[in-house]
Amino acid sequence: MFTWHRLHDHPELWPRYFVREKVLTAIRRFFLDREFHEVETPYLTGSLPPESYLEIFETTLLNRKREGQRAFLPTSPEPFLKKLLVAGIGNCFSLPKSFRNTEDMSLTHNPEFTILEWYRVNADYTDIMDDCEELLSFINTYLQRTSEKEKSAKPTELVYQKKHISLASPWERLTMSDAFKQYSGINLPNALTREQIAPLAKKKGYSVGEGDTWEELFHQIFFNEIEPYLGKGKPTILYDYPATLAALSRKKKTDPRFAERFEFYIEGLELGDAYSELTDADEQLARFKGEEAERKRLGKTIHPIDMDFIEALRVGMPTAGGIAVGVDRLIMLFADVVDIADTLFFPAGDLFNK
Amino acid sequence: MGTITTAQFSKGMFLEFKGEPAQIVDLTFVNPGKGSAFVRTKLKSLKTGKVQEFTYKSGESATEVLINTREMQFLYKEGENYIFMDNQSYEQYPVSSMMLGGYVNYLKPNDIYQLLVHDEDIVGIRFPKKVHLKVTEADEGAKGNTVSGATKTVVVETGAVIAVPLFIKQGELIAIDPESGEYLERG
Repeated sequence: MFTWHRLHDHPELWPRYFVREKVLTAIRRFFLDREFHEVETPYLTGSLPPESYLEIFETTLLNRKREGQRAFLPTSPEPFLKKLLVAGIGNCFSLPKSFRNTEDMSLTHNPEFTILEWYRVNADYTDIMDDCEELLSFINTYLQRTSEKEKSAKPTELVYQKKHISLASPWERLTMSDAFKQYSGINLPNALTREQIAPLAKKKGYSVGEGDTWEELFHQIFFNEIEPYLGKGKPTILYDYPATLAALSRKKKTDPRFAERFEFYIEGLELGDAYSELTDADEQLARFKGEEAERKRLGKTIHPIDMDFIEALRVGMPTAGGIAVGVDRLIMLFADVVDIADTLFFPAGDLFNK
Repeated sequence: MGTITTAQFSKGMFLEFKGEPAQIVDLTFVNPGKGSAFVRTKLKSLKTGKVQEFTYKSGESATEVLINTREMQFLYKEGENYIFMDNQSYEQYPVSSMMLGGYVNYLKPNDIYQLLVHDEDIVGIRFPKKVHLKVTEADEGAKGNTVSGATKTVVVETGAVIAVPLFIKQGELIAIDPESGEYLERG
């Protein structure tokens, strides 16, 4: 039964869907209070930064004579926001829909989804960590104030699927190395090459094939042994990733094998991905070339590359920390649902065959 | 008992996990980047009924477990077990509610069902997409009560409680989706 029909038959479900408008309002209030400018970014563009692990939606822009040029739906507002950072907009945020193709609809994926990105100039990823803690508390308080049944709840507490989560600052902060040591017994600084990690994975009973890369072995251990334990009882900020997993972020000065990247998790759900942003045009271009080669190898749609983005970096981007947050997943948390479709009036499953 | 790769995984399929037979009860895909892709599965142990999560690398292989289906007639419920009978041999088999999951709410005595069998053990049931059940208890449906929407709850012959449109009367036959427990249509 389609969602609109289900709502007609079960009006007691409306409050669950109204959590979205409250979360979006709270997000906007939070950033406007802090004098961040909101940017509406394009949903149609002629070129994109190449990402090897994403697939894009493509359409055609026709002129009056029906002559066409390729047009693409952005997978993230990042290139637009960064060009404005170069232009001098200062602290800014955007709340657009982003579009990712070939990702099957699942409990946590919808092909079009709402993404929140914000950037702080003259700041790094640690400032963004503080923003995350404040933002989640702000949203929680706003929801409690505007909901009858929540009025008696503690301001920093959230209940998700019968589990109590404290959003109070400070959240759990764990480096990737800490997490590997604590949950999988692996000393990560000594497991940063395939030769080092392969025997460890094999000993743990994972299948290790000739063609399996370091990234694959690392992630298989991470997904099975570490991720399920993140964000229990309070959110976890997982930071300082191996540099190969964070090519777009600055390397740590104290240990360049790791980069200034973090993700934050609540009850095993990954909600945000943040960097101390890379500002070097040459490194970014090298990354673009690598990603494009990988797209070709994987048989993905080859699209024009946003070279204007590289040009903007050459003009000069200020030092900044930035983050992308999955807003639908945030809404799932506050609406206490396990299916992203339950936060959408028109989930992709209602509009397309599953 | 063939070797399959994650590309062939599907919900409901049976495979060997840590040397024991298990059923894939959920399946999602994760792509963290750098060309690596993973298949996240929820696996239900056929022995214990416990569900465990495991993330495979995309392309990893697993051993498929051969499952046969056997037609059996549902007789009655006895404690936590549901008694089925093989109509050829007249042998009776107790099947735990754990193996049947939510479908227990829609089992009709004397109806024939497709049971899944592994090595002589019953490990699950293949339920039809639609079940037809008679409404045994229904109120008239409060007139003019448009605020609560156009539904009321009724009890069907198996004892399950279903939300249905107001026009459904006691004694009528309705079709239900056993996966979600939702009313589909009359008849």
